[in-house]
Amino acid sequence: MEERQIIAIEVEDKPGVLSRISTLFSRRGYNIDSLTVGHTHKKGISRFTIVVKGDKATLEQIRKQSQKLIHVLTTEDLRKEGSITREFAIVKLEYSDEASKKINELVDLYGGRMLDSTNGMLIVEFSGTEEKINKVFEDLKQFTVLESLRTGKIGMRTGL
Amino acid sequence: MSDNEPEQNREISGARALVKVLELEGVDTVFGYPGGANLPIYDALIDSPIRHILARHEQGAAHMADGYARVKGRPGVCIATSGPGATNLVTGMANAMLDSVPVVALTGQITRSLIGTDAFQEVDCINITMPVTKHNELVFSSTNLVPALKSAFYLADTGRKGPVLLDIPIDVLEESFPHDTDFEPELQGYQPTIEGNIGQVKRAIKALAKAEKPLILFGGGVALSKSGKEFNEFIRAVNIPVVRTLMGTGIIDEDDPLYLGMIGTHGHHAANRVIQKEADLVFVIGTRLGNRAMVKSQIFAKNAKIIHLDIDPAEIGKNIKADIPIVGDIKHVLQDINERIAKKPIRRDEPWTTIKKKDIRLSTKDGAAIMETIFTLVSGIDMKIHISTDVGRHQMWANHFCTNPDHLPLITSGGLGTMGFGLPAAIGAWFAEPETPVVSISGDGSFLMNMQEFVVAVENQVPLTVMVINDHRLSMIRELQRSHYGERYTTHDFRADINYISLAESMGGVGKRVTHKDQIVPVVKAAIESRRPTIIDCDLDKILKSSHLTYNSVAS
Repeated sequence: MEERQIIAIEVEDKPGVLSRISTLFSRRGYNIDSLTVGHTHKKGISRFTIVVKGDKATLEQIRKQSQKLIHVLTTEDLRKEGSITREFAIVKLEYSDEASKKINELVDLYGGRMLDSTNGMLIVEFSGTEEKINKVFEDLKQFTVLESLRTGKIGMRTGL
Repeated sequence: MSDNEPEQNREISGARALVKVLELEGVDTVFGYPGGANLPIYDALIDSPIRHILARHEQGAAHMADGYARVKGRPGVCIATSGPGATNLVTGMANAMLDSVPVVALTGQITRSLIGTDAFQEVDCINITMPVTKHNELVFSSTNLVPALKSAFYLADTGRKGPVLLDIPIDVLEESFPHDTDFEPELQGYQPTIEGNIGQVKRAIKALAKAEKPLILFGGGVALSKSGKEFNEFIRAVNIPVVRTLMGTGIIDEDDPLYLGMIGTHGHHAANRVIQKEADLVFVIGTRLGNRAMVKSQIFAKNAKIIHLDIDPAEIGKNIKADIPIVGDIKHVLQDINERIAKKPIRRDEPWTTIKKKDIRLSTKDGAAIMETIFTLVSGIDMKIHISTDVGRHQMWANHFCTNPDHLPLITSGGLGTMGFGLPAAIGAWFAEPETPVVSISGDGSFLMNMQEFVVAVENQVPLTVMVINDHRLSMIRELQRSHYGERYTTHDFRADINYISLAESMGGVGKRVTHKDQIVPVVKAAIESRRPTIIDCDLDKILKSSHLTYNSVAS
């Protein structure tokens, strides 16, 4: 069954490693929904969180094929119970006196933060599960959104 | 700098360090083509015992390294310059990748400060070759040069073998640096599994003992892991019928009563039937089961449980679901199994099978009789030779009828199907084992793709015999247009007639023509014995007439 799979891939932070991962995914026809990458607390080690569509067998192939890359250290399935994933989003809104109260309420409701207010434009941030960020974006439709972006998921498994 | 200074502190150029590593890795021959960006390597090679073979095209150099590696069982090395030199290697890398052949490719790159500026002869070699190599790396600093080189050999020749490419900027090759050539590679993210999981091995043995109609299917992995001996011990001990893929030549004697033929699109009816319909357990050893081997994945081994043994975990469950997966080196796993079944035998008295030797017929008929005639004759030549093939119809028939164990395994491009592979691969094979003459069986289509390499054989006195099975057309294309395109023939005819005798002679070789089947053995044998590079134009139309056969005569 086609579903969304979330994979964490820990890599040695070598030049071209992003290219290796993306080449592998495109060449084998895996469709990436989102991809994030960043450093970890370990020196020289970065970590990808990749969301792809596919069935269980595809997920297994993705993990095995990724594992074959020399700079890949580990892969992990984050879709299972016992993992936490988060997204981060920032949004630029047009500010008006009528909207201000509602915007503040919305920011409070979703635990967001006001980051900037310049020339009648606000920048607010939100973080949370993908579902939550989806709802934020749904609710923001009542305002004039000038720019928005979300990071895609990052995640890790709970416990050891 | 004084002469008694310890070697590791002495600064040497990157190119000298590179050549030193090649020597330490036991490389005796490299194949390549010089250019602006790799000249420091050539300069350093002057002072080395390593022999450099000048190809006439980088693709030729890559296939030579490939053919060398297949015979030597150690990585073949090829060298090219930046830009077009590097792009010309791409087919060679892909070929080695798909047949899991250990090749180390070294490309020169433009100087570091110019990378990214679209400088003269600059291409992004790393990104171009990424999907066709097991690993590749841009060596961006002198510190990394020796580690990258040592790792390249280690990666190419361990686990699932394959090509590794290093792209080295010319200033890294020129720069003096205290290179430490004692470096031993340690790769955190690369730990190939050698021993099979004991639990799975035990399950496999139990399943083999219990099955009513077990079958063994093997591929190129048996040769790559050098486990022909263990494999034959194993099939003897279990007494189970065996089929192979295209890449499994030269492992089992084709007259062996246990051998039921080759599976796949170009395989035997009986072998395909047995695996598709009859077997209740298939022990798959060292093959990825590509689409040409499975024919139709929906009906492949549909009644059978699958035990799948492969060194590459990603091959298990990729093309076929495995009931009992065993990841490991075939040699180790078969040794383990052989020891266990020696203590507790599971041998069956009679190998089950519904197939008699005479049932082992071929799935395609086109041209079978004449090709059988030619290659059976070649197979009868009682000499130790290495045979390479090109790609097309001759490849399939050579694979079926060249069965002389002294000629096998066939050096053939199975995965990529690279026309133009055979001639340079044969030259490479000779450098790996100079006491054995080489024969390149080619079609006229394939031969013309890399014929410039013939001059390399002349230049180096390679005892090479090229048989051009010449039907003045691309006969496999013709066959496909007949079977799949309603006999709408196009673009398969070579209208210009090539004089292969003059061609051979113009390059300093010997040219011969064969027009009658009775000439095949004497002419080929004389060419091999002469040890002179020879092109034999095997005029198929004339040989057909002399044999009273028509083009589409059926073999059996």
